[in-house]
Amino acid sequence: MKKKLLSLVMIVLALLVLLPVLWTLSTSMKPLSEVNRYPPEWTSSTMSLKPYSDMFFYLPFLTYTLNSLVVACSSTVLTLLFGSLAAFAFSRFTFAGKQIFLLIFLLSQMLPGASVIIPLFQLLQKVGLYDTYVGLILVHTAVLLPFVIWLLYGFFQTIPRDIEDAALIDGCSRMTALRKIILPLALPGIGATALFSFLGSWNEFFFALILTSSDSTRTIPVGIGLFVGEYLDVWNQMAAAAILFSIPPLILFTLTRKTFIKGLVAGAGK
Amino acid sequence: MKKFTPYLLLVPALLFTVFVLAYPLVQNLINSFSDVSMITGRSGWTGLQNYKHVFEDTLFWRSFRNTSVYAVVGTVMALVIGLSFALLLNLKLGKITTIMGALYTIPWIISPVVAGFAWKWLLNDRFGIVNYWLSSAGIVNLGTSWLGNPGTALMCVMLARIWQFYPFAMVIFLAGLQSIPQEQYEAAAVDGATMIRRFFHITLPNLKAVTSVLLVLGVIWSFNDFNMVFVMTRGGPMNSSMVLPVLVREFSFVNFDLGKGSALSVVVFALLTTLSFLYLKVISRGESS
Repeated sequence: MKKKLLSLVMIVLALLVLLPVLWTLSTSMKPLSEVNRYPPEWTSSTMSLKPYSDMFFYLPFLTYTLNSLVVACSSTVLTLLFGSLAAFAFSRFTFAGKQIFLLIFLLSQMLPGASVIIPLFQLLQKVGLYDTYVGLILVHTAVLLPFVIWLLYGFFQTIPRDIEDAALIDGCSRMTALRKIILPLALPGIGATALFSFLGSWNEFFFALILTSSDSTRTIPVGIGLFVGEYLDVWNQMAAAAILFSIPPLILFTLTRKTFIKGLVAGAGK
Repeated sequence: MKKFTPYLLLVPALLFTVFVLAYPLVQNLINSFSDVSMITGRSGWTGLQNYKHVFEDTLFWRSFRNTSVYAVVGTVMALVIGLSFALLLNLKLGKITTIMGALYTIPWIISPVVAGFAWKWLLNDRFGIVNYWLSSAGIVNLGTSWLGNPGTALMCVMLARIWQFYPFAMVIFLAGLQSIPQEQYEAAAVDGATMIRRFFHITLPNLKAVTSVLLVLGVIWSFNDFNMVFVMTRGGPMNSSMVLPVLVREFSFVNFDLGKGSALSVVVFALLTTLSFLYLKVISRGESS
């Protein structure tokens, strides 16, 4: 009895929590005449997926999607590459200044975007990288690296050193040990970190908004954020864009939830 | 050669940190004492002039107050909700717990821009479902504009922010709850302690370290948060929901006063650095205990 009651409470809470998402989902399938109608209804007889195809004509969402994919994938590859090198150094070597370097990365995680954006904007303009993929990828990589290093450092620490020592005795070099032993063992952790990196870049709005200016480089969050209620009243198409845009993160997260949360908890507990 | 290996491994990551974070930070400091223009760049020193402009601007003080409320109240509320949900999930009711745990995490996975959009639409004065329910129940008049009213705009944005942040707290709290040694509860049960007593004397003290980390992290992140306010209100109406990160953009890229924008961002940086050191203190204390 008590269990049933608690389960009911949990379900009601889930509905309450998901209300904004469910309402957006409902809106994304209504024609505009139904969207702008009082009283509002959850469902209607004329529901269809039309707004999902219409939005690609109203705004260049296809280009935005491509841009988002290019930027997020490139940033993920770069952060994983440079992040695992740094995390390897932190977890397997003792060297002078180690604590200070760790501190630098920890603190740069807290850096407000607002305090670097103006010079960054000027710098990118000067070197011709303003409003380009490369510019945005470099910035996203830099912004994501500190946390990626922390996450990977945590995962690398959980790999027993004995296995690696055995490999070293067998004549492997350090780098071979990293490539052949640590990386495969840390694969679940690396996957979770890749997810974090991808989501971080995919969802990032502030830098993408200010460092791009044309449709050929704008990412989806910029497309959505810039036009919400400002220039357009096509709520159903915006809702469709919002739903489509949220699907990749939700799938990725569902796939790697367990490892990701484990890494996060380890990171926060450090 | 071997001695240098760790440094070599750090070089790429450090280069990124230097070029994209350290250099702009220094340049920003220089700009804040200079006369800067978007087109011609720096054209000379102006001393504390930019800072004077910032501190004399009533909008700065208003944003500062808004940001503090947004960060502190929002984080505390998110932690309370996150803890409640974690306690509920920790009852371990079987399969339903796993499913609900995943559903409760969704707001955190969704992009802030999408979250802002969804809330803005949900709270829409005429066609939003919330206003329809509230007016049908006779609580408010139809057409009450939550985001268009200076008295309620900030509160609405904060609500959306809480919605996005509580799952993070929930996940961390849940891990914290699961690491509390079961013997403590068993001993308390033998002593005949009530559920409420057990909560206050075992659960809460054990979560103290996690709570302080979450609190400081949450305040830092919310203090930095640009997205939710920008998407939902852009700081309006009549600047009633203006926060510092949005104001930096306003000064620099809307009014094109880069000097004033830089000075403001140095102020934001100083505030954040203070908070970050607080964070370091909190985690180092957690380590020693």
